[in-house]
Amino acid sequence: MLQKKICMLGSFAVGKTSLVRRFVESIYSDVYQTTVGVKVDKKNVQVNGTDLTLVLWDIYGEDDYQKMHWTYLRGASGYLLVADGTRKATIDKAFSLEQRVREEVGVIPFVFVINKCDLSQDWEVDSALQAQLTEKNWNLLRSSAKTGEGVEEAFALLTRKILG
Amino acid sequence: MGSTPKHSREPLEFRPKPPDASASGSAPEPEEPPREGDDVQAYRELRELILAPEQEAIERLHQRVDNPASRTEDVGSVVAEAIQLRRRQGGDEDLSSALSPTIETALRESVRKDPGTLADALFPVMGPAIRRSILETLRAFLESFNQVLDQSLSMKGLKWRIEALRTGRSFTEVALLHSLIFRVEQVFLIHKKTGLSLGHAVAPSVAMQDPSLVSGMLSAIQDFVRDSFHTVQGQGLNRMNVGDLDVWIEEGPYAILACVIRGVAPRTLRDRMAEVLENIHRDYSEQLDHFAGDSAPFAKVNSELGRCLELRYKEEAQPRGFGFVYATAAILSLVVAGWLAWHTMQYRRWERLVNAFREQPGFVITSFGRQGGHFVVRGLHDPLAADPEKIISASDVKRADGEFHWGGYYALDDPIVQQRAISLLSPPPTVTLAVKNGVLQVSGAARAAWVKELQAKAQLVPGIRSLQLSPELDPERLAFSQAKSEIEITLVKFPLASASLLPSEQGALHRLAEEAQALLKAADALHENVTFEVLGHTDSTGPEVSNQNLSQRRAERVVQELSQLGVPERSLSPRGVGTSEPLRREDSEANRQYNRCVNIHITSVTH
Repeated sequence: MLQKKICMLGSFAVGKTSLVRRFVESIYSDVYQTTVGVKVDKKNVQVNGTDLTLVLWDIYGEDDYQKMHWTYLRGASGYLLVADGTRKATIDKAFSLEQRVREEVGVIPFVFVINKCDLSQDWEVDSALQAQLTEKNWNLLRSSAKTGEGVEEAFALLTRKILG
Repeated sequence: MGSTPKHSREPLEFRPKPPDASASGSAPEPEEPPREGDDVQAYRELRELILAPEQEAIERLHQRVDNPASRTEDVGSVVAEAIQLRRRQGGDEDLSSALSPTIETALRESVRKDPGTLADALFPVMGPAIRRSILETLRAFLESFNQVLDQSLSMKGLKWRIEALRTGRSFTEVALLHSLIFRVEQVFLIHKKTGLSLGHAVAPSVAMQDPSLVSGMLSAIQDFVRDSFHTVQGQGLNRMNVGDLDVWIEEGPYAILACVIRGVAPRTLRDRMAEVLENIHRDYSEQLDHFAGDSAPFAKVNSELGRCLELRYKEEAQPRGFGFVYATAAILSLVVAGWLAWHTMQYRRWERLVNAFREQPGFVITSFGRQGGHFVVRGLHDPLAADPEKIISASDVKRADGEFHWGGYYALDDPIVQQRAISLLSPPPTVTLAVKNGVLQVSGAARAAWVKELQAKAQLVPGIRSLQLSPELDPERLAFSQAKSEIEITLVKFPLASASLLPSEQGALHRLAEEAQALLKAADALHENVTFEVLGHTDSTGPEVSNQNLSQRRAERVVQELSQLGVPERSLSPRGVGTSEPLRREDSEANRQYNRCVNIHITSVTH
C-alpha cells in the first residue's frame, strides 16, 4: 500500500478543516489543532488505478496567537494551499506560505484552493489576482466545503501531481 | 451629556420635579436662563420656598455618596445579602468568575505573608487526603506482595528462586518481575521523517486504531514536544502515560518504535524494543533511507514487531498437558522416594548387624557392601568366638538377603585369649585363670609341678604376653609347703622300750632327709631360717622317768641318722617329750604302738 503525507496549509479560518471533514477518516477531535497545532486524518484515493492513502496533516493556520510548527511539513509529499475567497488577506497569506514552504522543505507539489465558492458573490477575487496566478502558473481550484464542490477534484489533482 | 438639555428645559416650564427625581435636583443653579430683574428675584424666593426641604435632602445624599466611609458602611450592610440574592437568581458562574481572581490573589497574598495560616486551615483536609492516598498505594502494593508470597512456596516460586540464583538478582526482584501484570497491546513502526506507518502489530482481541493516523499523530506529538521545548536532536518524547495505559517510544535514525502497554511493564521491555528497532534498521536500512510512501518492502516487518507483543508476564492458564506431566512426575517421585526409603531401611539393618559383629570379640569385618542386590559380608572369625549364625538370627535382617564369608584367625581380645588359655593349659579346678591386656593372671591352689608346666607353656598360648602368678602359687613357696607337710606327716617307728632303729624305718628316714634338704633349699630362697624340732615319744607303759629318758634317746638317734644322711646338724633340735604329747589316745595296743615314735615339727623365722 502506497502512503503519502500531505499537509493542509492556509490562514486561520479559511475552512481547511471543514474542507476535509466530510471526506476523510478521522479519529481525532479538532481540539488537537489548537493544542498540538496539527490533526492527522486519512483519505484513501484511487488515481489511475492506483490505491493510495493520503495521510493529511491539517496544520493550524498561523494567526496572532499561535505560530505554525514548520517541522510538521517535514517529509510531506505535497500540500493543499487553502485560501478564503471572501478575504483577500488570506490569498496574500497563501502566496507567502508557498514561498515559506519552498524555503523550509524545498519545492514540492501543491494545489491552490480558494474555498467558500458558495459565497462567490462576496468574493474579493479580482482580475488582478487572476493575472497574478497566471503569472505564477498556478492552477486555481474553487471549492466549497459546504456543498462539497471541488473537494474531490482538489485531492485527485494533488495526487496526480505527487505521482508525477 | 444627553441629560443637559433636559435640565435646562425643566425650569422654563415651571414644572417642579417630583421629590424622588433626585438626579435632576442636583443640577447646578448657574444653568438658570437669564430673566428680567424682579422676576429673577421672585423666582429665586419662590424656588427657595418650594424646594428648600428637597435641597437639604439632596445635600445630605451628596455628602453620603461623596464620603467613602459612609458608602463602605452602606455596602457592608448589604453585601452578604446581595451575594445570596445573586446566587438565588442563578448567576453563580458570573459571580464565581468575578470573585475568583480576587480570591486567588488573596490566597497568594496570604501564602506570601504567612504560609502557616493557610497550612493550618488546610491541615484537617490534607491529612485525611494524604492518608487515603498512602493507604491506596500500600493496599495495591500489599496485594501484589501477597501474590508474590503465595507463589514463593509453589513450584513457580522454586523456579523463580533458581532464576534468581542463576541471574544474580534478588528473589524479590525476580518475583515482582514475574508478578507484574501487563500487556503490550499494539506496536507501531513509524517512518521518522514522514510520520507514515511502516508496520503495525496488535495483540489478540485488542481494539485496533488506524495505524496511519496513530503513527501520524504520534509523530506530530514528537515534533510538537521537540519544537516546544527545544530539545537536543535525537532526544524526544520517550514515554507517555495515561491512567494504566503507557506509550513507550524508542527512536532510531530512520524509524520510531512505539508500544502501547496496559499495566506496569518491566525495564526488559525497553531492552526488547531497542533490540527490535536495531534489527529493523539493520535489515531495512536502504529501504528506510529511501522510503517514499511504499510500505510493500516492509511487509515482513510485522513479525519482528510481534516480538514486542510476546513479552508479557500475565500468566495464562497452564495447558492441561502440563498438569498430567506434573502429576506423573509427582507419582514417579513418590515411587522413587518410597523405594529409596525402603532401600535405605534395608541398608541400615544390615549396617547395624555388621556393627554388631564389629563389637563382638573374635570377629573382624574386612568388607561389607551390595553385590547384585545381595549384601555380602567378608571377615575373620576366631573359632572360640560366638557362633555368627546365632548373631544373624537374633538380628532383624533376612538371612536370604545376604551371604557371609569367614576366614579363621586368633583373636587377641582378652575374653577369647582367656578361653584359649583355659583350653590349652587345663588348670586344676582350684586354680582361677584370667586374662587382662594380654597378661595371664593365675591364682588359687595348685601343685608345684603344674605351676612349673604352666610357666613353660603359658607364653606359647597366642595372645598371652606374660604370666602373673598369685603369691601362693610361687614355686619356692609351693616347694617349701609341700616339703613341710611331707616331713610333718612322716613318723619313724621304734620297738618297745628301745631307741634302736628298725631296718624297716630306713625308707622313712631317707625320705625325711630328702625332703628336709629340699625344704632347706626353698627356705633359703625365701630367706627363712628353719629349725627341725625332732620330737621323741613313748607309750604310757613303764615309769615316767625312764620314758622321758627313752624318748630323748629316740630323738637323738633320728638326729644322728638324718645328720649322717646330709641334713645339717645345726638345724636339727632333738627333744624328748615322754608321754606328755601323745600322737594318739592309748585306748588300744595299736595306738600304744603308734605312740612309740619320733616325728618332726618345723618352725621357720624370716631373716
